Amino acid sequence: MTAGAGVDLAAHVAAAATRGELVVQPRMGMSDPRRMAEGLRAVAAVPAATVGTITLDSYTRVSDHAAARAAVRRGAPLNGFPLVAHGAEVTARVVRDVAGTIPVQVRHGSAAPGDIFATMVRAGLATSEGGPVSYCLPYGRVPLAESVRAWARATCTLAEDGRSAGVRPHLETFGGCLLGQLCPPSLLVAVSVLEGLFFVQHGVDSVSLSYAQQTSEGQDVEALTALRRLAARLLPPRVDRHLVLYTYMGVYPQTAEGARRLLAGSVDVAVRGGAERLIVKTVAEAHRIPTVGENVEALTAAAARARQARRSVRGPSGDEVDASEVLAETTALVEAVLELSDDVGTALVRAFAAGLLDVPFCLHQDNAGATQGAIDADGRLYWADSGRLPLPGGARTRAGRITSRRLVTMLSHAARRFDGPALGGPVPAVPPGPVAAAHEGPLARIALVGTGPRGVAVLERLAARLTERPPAWPVEILALDAVEVGCGRIWRTDQPEYLLMNTPAGEVTMFSGPPDDGPPRAGAGPSLGEWWQAVDPAHGDPNGYAPRALYGRYLRQVFDTVLAGLPAPVRVRPVRTRVRSLTRSPAGAWRLESPELGGVDVDRVVLTTGHASPEPDGEHARLAAFAARRPGARYVRADSAADMALDDLPAGSVVGVLGLGLSFYDVMAALTVGRGGRFEAAGDGLRYEPSGREPLLVAGSRSGVPVPARGRNQKPPDHVYVPLLFTRSRMRTARRRGPLDFRRDVEPWLLAEMDLVHHGTALRRLYGKQAVTLFHERVTETVDPTDPRAAVVEQARRLGGPALPALDLPARARPFAGRRFGSPEAYHRVVADHVRRDLAEAEEGNVDGPVKAALDTLRDVRAVLRVAVDHGGLTAASHREFLASFVPVASALSAGPPRVRLHQVLALLDAGVLRLLGPGSVFTGDDRTGRWRGDAAQVSGAAVLLDAFVDARIPTPDVRRDPAPLTRSLLRAGVWSSFTNASAGGRLRTGGVHVTGAPYHPVRSDGAPEQDLYVLGIPTEHTRWFTQVGSGRPGRWGDFTGDADAVAEHLMEFLAQRVTPAPAQEVVA
Amino acid sequence: MTSVLTRGRTVLLSTVSSDAHTWNLVYLQLLLEEHGHHVVNLGPCVPDEHLLTVARAVRPDAIVISSVNGHGHLDGARLIRTLRDDADLAATPAVIGGKLGIDGEDDDRHVQALLDAGFDAVVTEGTPASALAEFLAATPPPRAVDAGAPARAA
Ligand code: B12
Repeated sequence: MTAGAGVDLAAHVAAAATRGELVVQPRMGMSDPRRMAEGLRAVAAVPAATVGTITLDSYTRVSDHAAARAAVRRGAPLNGFPLVAHGAEVTARVVRDVAGTIPVQVRHGSAAPGDIFATMVRAGLATSEGGPVSYCLPYGRVPLAESVRAWARATCTLAEDGRSAGVRPHLETFGGCLLGQLCPPSLLVAVSVLEGLFFVQHGVDSVSLSYAQQTSEGQDVEALTALRRLAARLLPPRVDRHLVLYTYMGVYPQTAEGARRLLAGSVDVAVRGGAERLIVKTVAEAHRIPTVGENVEALTAAAARARQARRSVRGPSGDEVDASEVLAETTALVEAVLELSDDVGTALVRAFAAGLLDVPFCLHQDNAGATQGAIDADGRLYWADSGRLPLPGGARTRAGRITSRRLVTMLSHAARRFDGPALGGPVPAVPPGPVAAAHEGPLARIALVGTGPRGVAVLERLAARLTERPPAWPVEILALDAVEVGCGRIWRTDQPEYLLMNTPAGEVTMFSGPPDDGPPRAGAGPSLGEWWQAVDPAHGDPNGYAPRALYGRYLRQVFDTVLAGLPAPVRVRPVRTRVRSLTRSPAGAWRLESPELGGVDVDRVVLTTGHASPEPDGEHARLAAFAARRPGARYVRADSAADMALDDLPAGSVVGVLGLGLSFYDVMAALTVGRGGRFEAAGDGLRYEPSGREPLLVAGSRSGVPVPARGRNQKPPDHVYVPLLFTRSRMRTARRRGPLDFRRDVEPWLLAEMDLVHHGTALRRLYGKQAVTLFHERVTETVDPTDPRAAVVEQARRLGGPALPALDLPARARPFAGRRFGSPEAYHRVVADHVRRDLAEAEEGNVDGPVKAALDTLRDVRAVLRVAVDHGGLTAASHREFLASFVPVASALSAGPPRVRLHQVLALLDAGVLRLLGPGSVFTGDDRTGRWRGDAAQVSGAAVLLDAFVDARIPTPDVRRDPAPLTRSLLRAGVWSSFTNASAGGRLRTGGVHVTGAPYHPVRSDGAPEQDLYVLGIPTEHTRWFTQVGSGRPGRWGDFTGDADAVAEHLMEFLAQRVTPAPAQEVVA
Repeated sequence: MTSVLTRGRTVLLSTVSSDAHTWNLVYLQLLLEEHGHHVVNLGPCVPDEHLLTVARAVRPDAIVISSVNGHGHLDGARLIRTLRDDADLAATPAVIGGKLGIDGEDDDRHVQALLDAGFDAVVTEGTPASALAEFLAATPPPRAVDAGAPARAA
């Protein structure tokens, strides 16, 4: 018999995809036909795009139809629908009611699917799942060669019979799942693609390619991207295909809450990775076969989450992630297999025999069993042992002996992560009023010490999470700041308006998600640019550089908004106070002491204290000492410009300024615009109208040139740069081999990435975008790891790119190194020309100008550099060199003040208000005159006597020199320690607070982490790199928001445990 | 822990004919080996006859059956009856454990039926790992001809 054609799965999925909907589908199968039919009707009734599933029972899977029939006769419930035992007629009746509404797919797990397919087709069904490998190795003892033969035959028959019955056969690979866990993604993606090719070879032209969620969302999105790209390359264009993600297929969370969270996580992966369909799991997964109701709940939740995730995705999407590692591994595997035979099935059999494909922990007799997968500290799967897999970069053999304990630990990784706080009993969702009232004071108290951007970010993420899961009990958060609660010292709101930020307002946000239809709240709100336009339509400009004070007002606005939205049991107490000490209280909590608070006990403390005002050392100390001896020689020490004593420098006095970086521009503004002067437009540039109250500025630095401007911004606020060569995965892989040498292992790739942008920009200007795509492909194919820059230059040349001078970073940072100038006037002319050339390059833009685009890459790949260098990534010797040589050059070239600042420099030079001393500037105290003396080693006749000296360099953070009583108390007690990089024999004492990886607990001087403290931002500089980031960015989360969220997540775990203490957990066998 | 030398058993580890799950088997093999036992692991979907053939050849000190697919109570009962009908294997201590039915907690319903069918012990979800070690420790020492009735665990 033949039923009428049901809904076509591929068309159904394609239609949903164009509507922007994720198709959701259950795993569902019961032995009783009536209940099976009910289940399908319930799925069809879910208000979302769904697909119905008939999952078959284990007897049918192993072709033991007799046992299935016997069980049905006796009414013994099976773990699925015994399709062959019931037969085509019963099956057709089961699907009848939904056949016109939703597609129905049969999922089985049989290495000999002939009977199943035949029955299906007679029941009008031609949509199923499987593959010669994936329905064999994980599912029994049928030899692989036999499975390949059976699948080849059954697939051909399905293709023919389906078509003659008027239904389009569709097969989904199960290769993306295999044994469900501990298999690194490359093998899953490879088998999925190979099985897709196998189906196509045997006549099926509508396929879906599966991938099962693993232990890392980031890695999963990469895997989906690799799967899509490889399928595009290998499947003939006529084949209809889509991607299907399976919610986690390994050991599942025990608690309903954990199960729901894992499901939600899989939805996010599907949306980010661009999978069109998702097969869900239910809250029953860890325990038993789910009920229809549980399946409906899971489908409904997944569909809702998908709609929400489409609006604001957390984390980068498939096009933005760096899929190169998975893609390279997968490609190598697939290509090695396809070389073995033109027949995909034969190739698969040979590949397993040779160990070129080898599934970790699989007991099947045809699996070599030489590989091992494992989970790294970031939760990503990797090859602990790659056996004979033909992986790029050679074999991995790091597997330790596997023990039962270690196995269970790895198997339960995801369950543990998602059950996390929930284990130990259900947390009541609504605060039980009377019980809460019975408590005197809060049950938990958290302190934020420092409410600059880092502190506010933690509060924002914590509030977002608390809103999702309100605590049942009172929680108090102390928000403490020594200067201004809600924005902190650097961004305080009473500073002069001429002090500007260095980031365009549109690129700054303190909300962790974009604004939506609702009111601004934790998780959704405007960027600084959007807010600025709203509060000051006349001046607000997303591309403009906002006054710092304005950013301070924005920060406080965010702070207030977040506070207003907190669920009732959470109270924030903002206190302006300088915390003086933090010590363990006898009860085991932390005791905070400050003049305003006295002593308060708190459970958790987030230390986001920001910029210190360190004691001067070395050269600074000498200068300070001279000033102390000579009251006539004024000395202004380095600090945030708003806190420098610049106002009392007399008009007309000669003021030396050391440093030509970002601080210099602040000082320059304070002493010119801040004194009533004005810049007027004049020709292409500016003209300065003095007020007459300015001092004369004599500025210098080692290079003698003001740091170059950032290219005219052409990047949208949510711009994401996806590196091709200098990738996180490359750095992560390199680090697995041990501490890196910056010059050897890191810098070549960084420079190659910059070269890529340099040449790519030039190629695009000449030949358009396609040329760049081709360029990137060729570079990827030909890059030689021992000299990555060579391939870039060579391929650009072959494509007809112009001969560009190599980017020489040190030379750009010190353009006049080794040059001598006969007079200050001669230098003046040369440096003014230099600034004009820089402005011309900057005008070309940070996308269209080859040089500025390449230099902007330095900003774009900061996060990759962190992967390489943070937490002792470099050997001690290399770390020292990195800090001494690379960091100053990179910050000079990527700090990038807005162009207007350099126009101002030119105008001030013209007006005679500013003089640049020249390269090799030195400032000393002149004992004879009692005044300061400035000179430039490379400029004859530059020496000049000065009335005041301003140190405009940003002091290198070093906790050991921070005089703040809090820092002192923490160091004394050994709670904070300065990070010593002692890798590879060397020793480098860095002065950065030693912290763990996320969630960044301080590591005590005795080596133990303080798990109830967290440190973010500047104090940790040198343990981590480039922490002086003062805002999040719209769009995908960067490290700034990610770090804050990691702390918030950890705090949430603490709060959940606090309300219902978890009993000690034992792994149960 | 008991001494490996005096107490190591040869254990036949298997699942039932319709059950494809193997992570449980990989885990139990490691656990048993760590306790000093020698393990013959038959892998997934083991037909009753295959298990019998191997058991007759190996003469294990104990048989450990693990099943999690929900058919364990059906397949397990059939298997143990066949085993107990075999003269050579009638007295070999045998234990079954895992997720034996499809209803989660209701697994307990199946315990008595499986004991009646011939298992010496039935271990359900939530029983600590030590149960298996205790069960084996209570089996007759290796190569002992007859040490009386096997102990019941669980
Ligand atoms: C991974 C997995 C798979 C993989 C298995 C690959 C493989 N070759 O192993 C794949 C995806 C292929 C799969 C397939 C199927 N699975 Co499955 N699978 C799982 C899953 C997610 C994890 C199992 C696991 O790896 N556990 C890790 C090991 C170490 O733990 P364990 O097996 O629980 O064993 C522990 C204890 O039970 C104990 N133990 C076990 N046996 C014994 C024996 C003794 C003597 C002792 C002392 C202790 C003991 O020791 C272990 C350590 O604590 C579980 C759900 C879950 N737990 O999250 C479902 C689950 C086991 N699968 C299930 C089912 C039904 C199937 C299928 C039939 C498909 C279907 N209808 O849904 C098919 C199997 C086909 C067949 N012929 O059997 C059901 C079983 C339902 C039930 N019993 O009520 C579960 C519970 C999922 C569910 N809720 O529906 N599955």
